[in-house]
This record gives sequence, structure tokens and C-alpha cells, in this order.
Amino acid sequence: MAADIADAPAPPRTGRPRPAHGRNRKPILPRVWHFASFGAPGVLIYLCFVMAPILISFWYSLTNYNPFNPPIKFVGFENYVLLFSDEQFLTALKITTILTLIVVIVPNLLGLGVALLLDRKGWLYNALRSVFFTPVILSSVVVSIVWSRLLDDQGPLNELLRALGVASPPGWLSDPDLAIYSVASIVCWQQLGFCVVVYLAGLQGVPTELLEAAEIDGAGPWRRFRAVTWPLLAPSLTINTVVLLISAFKTYDYVKVITNGGPGSGATATIAFDVLQTGFDSNHVGYASAMAVLMLVIVAVVTTIVLNFLRRREVDL
Amino acid sequence: MSRVRPVAALVVSALFFVPLYLVLANVFKQGDLIAKSPASLPMPPTISNIHAVLTRPDGLFWVSLTNSMVVTLLSILVLTVLSAMLGHYLARSSKRWTKVLTLILLAGLMIPPQVILIPITDVLRITHTMATLQGLILFNVGYYVPFGVFVFTGFIRSVPVELEEAALLDGASRMQVFWRVVFPLLRPATASVLIFLGVWIWNDFIDPLIILGPSQGTTITTGIYRSIGQYQADLGSVFALMFLATLPVLIFYLALQKQFVKGLTGGATKG
Repeated sequence: MAADIADAPAPPRTGRPRPAHGRNRKPILPRVWHFASFGAPGVLIYLCFVMAPILISFWYSLTNYNPFNPPIKFVGFENYVLLFSDEQFLTALKITTILTLIVVIVPNLLGLGVALLLDRKGWLYNALRSVFFTPVILSSVVVSIVWSRLLDDQGPLNELLRALGVASPPGWLSDPDLAIYSVASIVCWQQLGFCVVVYLAGLQGVPTELLEAAEIDGAGPWRRFRAVTWPLLAPSLTINTVVLLISAFKTYDYVKVITNGGPGSGATATIAFDVLQTGFDSNHVGYASAMAVLMLVIVAVVTTIVLNFLRRREVDL
Repeated sequence: MSRVRPVAALVVSALFFVPLYLVLANVFKQGDLIAKSPASLPMPPTISNIHAVLTRPDGLFWVSLTNSMVVTLLSILVLTVLSAMLGHYLARSSKRWTKVLTLILLAGLMIPPQVILIPITDVLRITHTMATLQGLILFNVGYYVPFGVFVFTGFIRSVPVELEEAALLDGASRMQVFWRVVFPLLRPATASVLIFLGVWIWNDFIDPLIILGPSQGTTITTGIYRSIGQYQADLGSVFALMFLATLPVLIFYLALQKQFVKGLTGGATKG
């Protein structure tokens, strides 16, 4: 697309006088025009399809809105109060927290390990990098279906375990206590490649002279990693953590496709899953909106705290 | 010591590869063998699964493919144009309220779709675009504009203003200056935006599921999701459908691999 447009930037001319007004004091009209033509279309569509719905969500959350049970009544913060004594919501909050913690920590750790392992030149390492990155571009629906075949009670994994002599291998997805960890592992598998690539890029930015200098000073491999490499990977850690945090907290696709919230009553139901279940299947739109708004607040607060902490850490290091 | 690394790398990668192998092996395996021995090699290989998906009487694959193509291409096209221009405005204006606007837009990067999806059905009903591809495209544009703006604004700041001022003095209009002078310089940013949003929108599941609704057509992802209900007995078709659905994005990735990784890591190295 860009290739069609004339490439050569106009050469700056020096002969002509600059306009009377400086760069900082442009007249008002061009500024308004600049916004109207360049800024407004994007802003407008964002306001209509993101900001306005959030405000509507907040309004719904203060009512008992149910499309099949009019009239709408204003109930104040009653929905929010109810949420904190709702077993189902508190379970969903717990499950979302477990899932988020696993998905933030495990791919970060394993991703660093794999990146250190693959941080070499040559076709072999290039090919293996692609292996790790491929799941990142797959649809979560595809990943979910493949893994639910793999972890099925009669699936290949359990067949293998039986062949190895395990009499009753675990029901990875059918045991309510285990299912959430299986789902979390599947998410980790898909996200791992992202962390690997980000860490590999970070490793390229570690100057070899520094590592050599440390070696001459007698630092062993662990000391070199701890004192030179790890501090320089701080920006990579920040990116991975924040991206994983935001995406893990809204996990929906895997739960919907793999377990549909089960097994049993909500053993894998995340908040993201509960919101749509309550809003669209049970039609308690008011209550579901309160959940959604609370979800937004939690994401915003946690992300801001984590981001600030990691940024400050980057500066300190 | 020097032998340990390649061996370890190979073993770890092989373990990681198992689920991908499962897809590849079962796409080319007879349907009844998949349930019996899912992990075996597809011997003799067959293309009957792929053939079955391509010639389904209801055309599920072709309809889904067309819908996903239309939605993805139009969304990323509009998103690139709108977010590049909005990014230009934000990068070049130093008013206090543009800083506020930037913050509001960046907040969009972490908004979970759940907060929007319930009321969006009402918004789309008002604009008569509920359960249509246009509705889904409008939603995509609104939802992903923050990402585009995030990438473009940073990049445009690194393009010298003098370049634009010179072109303006030469009598070009602001639009001409932007599209003919600035935009061609933004190619790496444009590549990032096209690649990321392309993959995200192609793989998107929750939004088409809700916005297109249960009866009104499917995209590739919702098509696969619906087919696992119907095909319980015919796993071969499910695997073939997943394989075919992934093929376009896989080709896209392999063709643009370098830019992919560059775009992904641009932020990581800049810090």
C-alpha cells in the first residue's frame, strides 16, 4: 500500500522565509481543522464503540435490567453489594486469580529458560524458535480443541500413562480440582512463544563485552546471569508481565471451548466467562454489568500498580 | 558441554511440538483411526478429510473463510488509515487536552471486551448493524484503534516536523503532506499494525460469537467452534477444518516472519 505512494520526501528548502508565527503558536483555525480531519474519525468511532458502551455498562450495573423482565428499576449499588456475598462470583474471582498468577509466572520463567537455551546463531536455533512461536499465531479455539483431545480421559496422554503402568491416570479436564490447572497449562503453552521471542530480543541487547569483562573478573555463569544479563532484561520482563496479565485476566475462549465452565458447577468459570453467561444466557444484564465493571476496575488497578512497580525497577537497576 | 545445548534444545522443542504434531498427523489420517490411535503417523496418508471439508454441502468452510477475509481485511485497512491519522494529530499537537485524549485512548489497551459486549449489542441495534459483518468491523475498529494509535504516535514523533513544514511551504495541503511525505516513512509501524491486528482479528473468537450471533453466519473461529458440536463422530473433519483455517495466517506469518518478530520486540529493546 505504502509502496504506491511517492517515496521521495520533498527536500527542505531554505531560501524561503518562515511564516510569521512560530511553530508553537499556530493560528486556531488550522488546529481545529487538523483535529477535525485527522483526529476526529478515530476518536469518534472509539467513543461510540468503546467509551459509550462502558458508560452504558456502568448505568446498567446500577439497575435490575433484564430484557425479558421489564420495567427497569434503579437499584443503586445493590448489585455490587450482592456480588461480594455471591459464592459463584467469589469462586470465579478465585479461579481468575489462580489462572492469572499461573499464566503470568510460568511462561515468563519457562520463556526465559527457553530463550537462554536458544540464544545461539544457526539454522537449528532459528527453526526451533519458529516452533515455539507458532502457537502464538494460532487461534485459541484451535489450541483449545487440540488440547482437549490430548488431555481427554481416553486421550493420547492417558493412554501413554496407562501403557507406562499408571492404573487410573488423572482426569485432566474432568476432575473439578484439576481442570483449572489443565486450562492454565494450555494457556501457558500458547503464550510461551511470545515470552521467548521478547526475551531473545532482550538478550540481543546484552553487550558481549560486559559478559566477557565479568568472566575475566572471575564471575561464573550464574553470577554473570544474575549481575549482567538479568538486570538488562528488565524491559523484556515488564512487557511480558503486563501483556500476560491483561490477557490472562480476561480468559474466556479456552474456558468456553474446553470445559464450558465445568466440570461440575463452575470449576473453571472465570469472571470473563461468568459475565457473558449471566448477561446473555440468564439475561441478568444489570448484574452481569456490575461484574464487568468490577472486572475493568480490577484490571485497571492491578495493571497500573504492576506497571509502575516494574518501571521503577527498570530505573533502579 | 557443546553437545548439551543442541540436544537439550531439541528435546524441549520436541515436547513442545507434540500438540502441533497431533494436528498435522490427524489431518491426513482416516477418520476411524483418529479415535483409535491419535498419536500414530498417518499411514497411509489420505486427503479425504480435507476433501470432505472443502465440499461440505452447507459450504461452512467457504462461507467462514469469506467472512473472516472480509472482516479482517476491511478492519485492518480502516484501522491503519484512522489510527495513522489520529496518531499524527496526537504526535503533532502539544495541547494539554491531547495528552488527556492520549491517556483515554491508551486506557483502551487494557479494557476487557466483556465490559463492552453487553451494551454493544444495543448500540449496534440502534445503528442497525447488529448481526452483520459491518457491525463486527465497526466494533473491531473501535476496539483496536488504541493499539494502532499506540504504535503510530510513537513512530510519528521520530519523524522530523521540518520535513512536513517544508512540504507545507511548497504548497502541499496537510492531507497531501501526510499521505505523500509522512506515511511512506511509517512503513515499519504500518507493518506492525497490519500484522498484529490481522492475526488478532483473524483469530478473534468472542466478538464474532456475540456480535454475529448464533444464526447469522460464522467466521473461521466460530465456524470451528460450531463444528465440534456437529461433527462429534467425524474428528477427521474437525482437524482438517482447523488446519485449513490456520493455513492463511500461517502463510501470512511465514511470509512476514522478520517483520513479525521486529514488531513484537520493537518495544522490548527500546525499553
